[in-house]
Amino acid sequence: MNAFKELDWPLVFIWAALSAFGLVAIYSATQGPVSEFLPIYIQENFSRQVTWVAISIVVIAAVQFTSPRTFQGASYLLYAFATLLMIITVFFGVEVSGSQSWLRLGPLNFQTAELMKLATILAAANYLTSRRDISAENLKTAFVTLLFFAVPVALLILQNEAGVAIIFIALLPFMLFWSGLPHGISLLMISPALIAYFTVINWQFGMAAAVIFAIAIFFIQRRHWITASSVLVGLLTVIGTEVALHQVLQPHQTARIEAFVNPSVDPQGTGWNILQATTAIGSGGLTGKGFMEGTQTQLRFLPEQWTDFIFCVVGEEFGFMGAGAIMILFLLLFLRLINMASNHKHPFAQLVMVSVAAVFFIHFSINIASATAIMPVIGLPLPFISYGGSAFLTNSILLAICLNFDFYKRSFSIYS
Amino acid sequence: MSPSRQRDIKSTARILQVVILLVWLVMFGRLIQLQIIDYEKYAPMSRENFVRQDFVNPARGLILDRNGVNIVENEPIYSITINPVSFKMANVPLLASLLHTTEEDVLQRIREAQQYSWFRTSRLYTEVSFDVFSNIQENIWQLPGIGHQIESKRHYPLPLTASHTLGYLREASREEYLSSDRIRLGDKIGKSGVEMVYEEYLRGELGAEYNRVNAYGQRLGHYNNKEFNVPPVKGLDIITTLDADLQILSEKLMEGKKGGIVAMDPNTGEILSMVSAPQYDLSRLAGRLDSEYWRSINMNEETPLFNRAISSRQPPGSTFKPFMGLIGLHLGLITKDTKIYNSGAYFRGRAYRDLADPGEYDLKEAIGKSSNTYFFWMMDQIASQRYFNQWSKLAKDFGLGRRNYIDLPFETAGIMPDSTYMNTNFGERRWGTGDLMSLGVGQGMVSVSPLQMAVATSVIANGGYRVQPHIVRGIIEKDGTISYTDPNRERLDWIRNDHLELVQEGMRGVVTSGSGRWYSDLGEIAVAGKTGTSQNPHGQNHGWYIAYAPYDDPQIAVAVLVENAGFGSISATPIASLVIELYLKGEIERQHVYDYVLNFRPREDPPEEIETGESDVDEVLPETEGLP
Repeated sequence: MNAFKELDWPLVFIWAALSAFGLVAIYSATQGPVSEFLPIYIQENFSRQVTWVAISIVVIAAVQFTSPRTFQGASYLLYAFATLLMIITVFFGVEVSGSQSWLRLGPLNFQTAELMKLATILAAANYLTSRRDISAENLKTAFVTLLFFAVPVALLILQNEAGVAIIFIALLPFMLFWSGLPHGISLLMISPALIAYFTVINWQFGMAAAVIFAIAIFFIQRRHWITASSVLVGLLTVIGTEVALHQVLQPHQTARIEAFVNPSVDPQGTGWNILQATTAIGSGGLTGKGFMEGTQTQLRFLPEQWTDFIFCVVGEEFGFMGAGAIMILFLLLFLRLINMASNHKHPFAQLVMVSVAAVFFIHFSINIASATAIMPVIGLPLPFISYGGSAFLTNSILLAICLNFDFYKRSFSIYS
Repeated sequence: MSPSRQRDIKSTARILQVVILLVWLVMFGRLIQLQIIDYEKYAPMSRENFVRQDFVNPARGLILDRNGVNIVENEPIYSITINPVSFKMANVPLLASLLHTTEEDVLQRIREAQQYSWFRTSRLYTEVSFDVFSNIQENIWQLPGIGHQIESKRHYPLPLTASHTLGYLREASREEYLSSDRIRLGDKIGKSGVEMVYEEYLRGELGAEYNRVNAYGQRLGHYNNKEFNVPPVKGLDIITTLDADLQILSEKLMEGKKGGIVAMDPNTGEILSMVSAPQYDLSRLAGRLDSEYWRSINMNEETPLFNRAISSRQPPGSTFKPFMGLIGLHLGLITKDTKIYNSGAYFRGRAYRDLADPGEYDLKEAIGKSSNTYFFWMMDQIASQRYFNQWSKLAKDFGLGRRNYIDLPFETAGIMPDSTYMNTNFGERRWGTGDLMSLGVGQGMVSVSPLQMAVATSVIANGGYRVQPHIVRGIIEKDGTISYTDPNRERLDWIRNDHLELVQEGMRGVVTSGSGRWYSDLGEIAVAGKTGTSQNPHGQNHGWYIAYAPYDDPQIAVAVLVENAGFGSISATPIASLVIELYLKGEIERQHVYDYVLNFRPREDPPEEIETGESDVDEVLPETEGLP
């Protein structure tokens, strides 16, 4: 009974609440009054998701009976196995809407990138915590860690899943930062993303962001070569983004980005999704239109509403009450996981917990920012809410591992 | 792990938490902006998104004959539609077999529909037969994305064409739909005949339906319990003056011929039947456009689209003589007793031939036996006594050489020359009496339409009134009451009743003992008429006949023109007399005349007499033997 109390019940509650929200939203999006117009396989999404939630409960429970040391010990092996599956997927995967990222395992389709996410976190955390701390003078560890990420990113690009690759790219600064990467260099790492974001809106904004980053990095780190590289990185980012926008990107990608900047340019085309998504959320108001009453949702104005745009379903049908509640649940999830990490003594457990929080945070940010038109649409699911079996199971396992580390924090000695 | 490292972990965690909180706040702020601050902006946007206004076309008004028989109705046509996004390509073979067509054809049409829009419904096959339509309906459950649409097209239930009178519908042109609130892109509007002139009445009022739709444009049901729906208002039914049976006969009689028939009630101007031959098939212009057929009638040498009944211009020939008589009496050039001697020709600078038997002719005789000399002499007097312009004005009073404003499009004014006309065409002082002589016998520059001749004949029949010819008798209003058209008629004051009687007797004589006696005499029903042959420098002469009956109480006046058919007495006369017979007796008793008309073929070579120019050639025995 004592052991039962040791489990971090608030986290379990957050998991359950988010999953319940997800099931309600998926039900509304696929079983609504006019769902007859949907293909059968999409109408079956709800029952499939229920199955996955049930499976995940069993798996979460099972993970609690595993020794925390197992995850650290098996991390490299798992990484190798996941990489192998990814390579197999590149050649023998099932193609779903343009991406070859699914592997057929008997009756199930599995997105191998999900397992890769888990494996990369464990392997990179294992590697980083087995080395000396990173400092501004010793960046070798950081560069080796880069390789753990370069492999999945390359494979994902081969699978035509650039969106998922962004998760890995964005996770790296979090892990390095926690492992002692100096603040200035961390800032330097994340600066291109923000500079590029502002450049997309307007290149002058991008230049301004580059200057601000350079000044900030100079005051934090006070090392000339870092400041110099930040200026260089900033400039290259602005120029690179401009070139990419007008030269490198495929027309449909450029259109997606331009539609973000000004959706009304093409309200029937690329701007459609953005307008419909914001209209859905905006028209939900404070209290929403009611369960299964959302016209944008029920009348299929939203694309991919059971996956990438599921936040709009909640926003429209449950209003600010519902959407705000989900956002608060996620905020609590991130903050609690990081608190949990800072209270843990084992560095591997700490880093895994922070990485899991970071992965959830990246998914959450990109998904919500896309749905609310803060950034160009990048199709990524919202953890625990969006439909998707392999993602739900993987996310649950990630959370379960954190719970496991926390549960065994007294016995998971740093002196192995 | 050192305590300092531990503190470091705590502060690193704080920094991470603050970064996450900041990003989170940006998104939370955005949520507040969308849902709380901008709610007023997005709420109406989502409402407009899912409500679609669908127009509902009204049923077009029917066209009836004078007795209430439907001449033009509406018929449903079934179209098969496709919504490409929901359609499964695996169903192409099934669809092709149900539609009795090839898979390639179906595939090609689906591709066209996809090019138009993946999400919007478009027509895949228009106007499929009812069998195909019901086949598709039975299998609709296994054909997602396939639907149907019921529209309507004009349907002509009777074996009656009246193509020029009724008119056809075509899609409105860009100018037309831009200039009217009531016409939309793709709407069909009347482009000729009654359909065109009475478009405003027939059209009806567009209805609107508010439907809930999804993003693919699929209709999901009514919006707000049909509260805002506006039902369409059916177009008004139009009662024409046509007599369906008479029209059917008139068309039958004109089959294989060129020309026109106008039969009207001489007292009111109501058109009882009107034919322009050759006709075209209105039913082939209804519904899906048969472009090949359209091209064939548009390019045809015989110009079937041309309405000969009201638009053709031909010299009236001897049918003009009764009107000459009335003008001469009015001008005082002749009296009841004026007699002119016919020696076989009238001499005025040259010889104008007259084929009537030599001898003395008064007006009655001159009309009855169609003596040219009498009218050449009269025209000579008109020209030399400077009555020419007055002559022209009086002739126009009969409705000749002027528009009569019938409620049909493309009516011609014809030509009734006066000095202005002659000056324009010949040059001032470059014309003289010699150029006017032939006008006296209805040849030369004077040209009229069958409609004008029918109006003029009515003046003689009804005692001197010029009636307003019209094709629509009344309109059935929404409440079921009928508002009748009220055309005026005008008494031509200068026509004296005793003069009129004289001319009427002359025309009666044509039927009893003149050129109309073989085909026009209906025995107990007294008919009055006048034959005519219009000279055609380009080929075979055209035959004319005007008549009215019964003599004492005229109920019908007819004008018939048969182009390139030779003498009016053998071409136009039997046709007009059969029209009169059916209208007054209710049946055709003279089967041999009927058969004669149906088998009538104009002679290839024009008779020798015609070479001489201004001669009248009515007095020629028909070739047919064994007549009563």
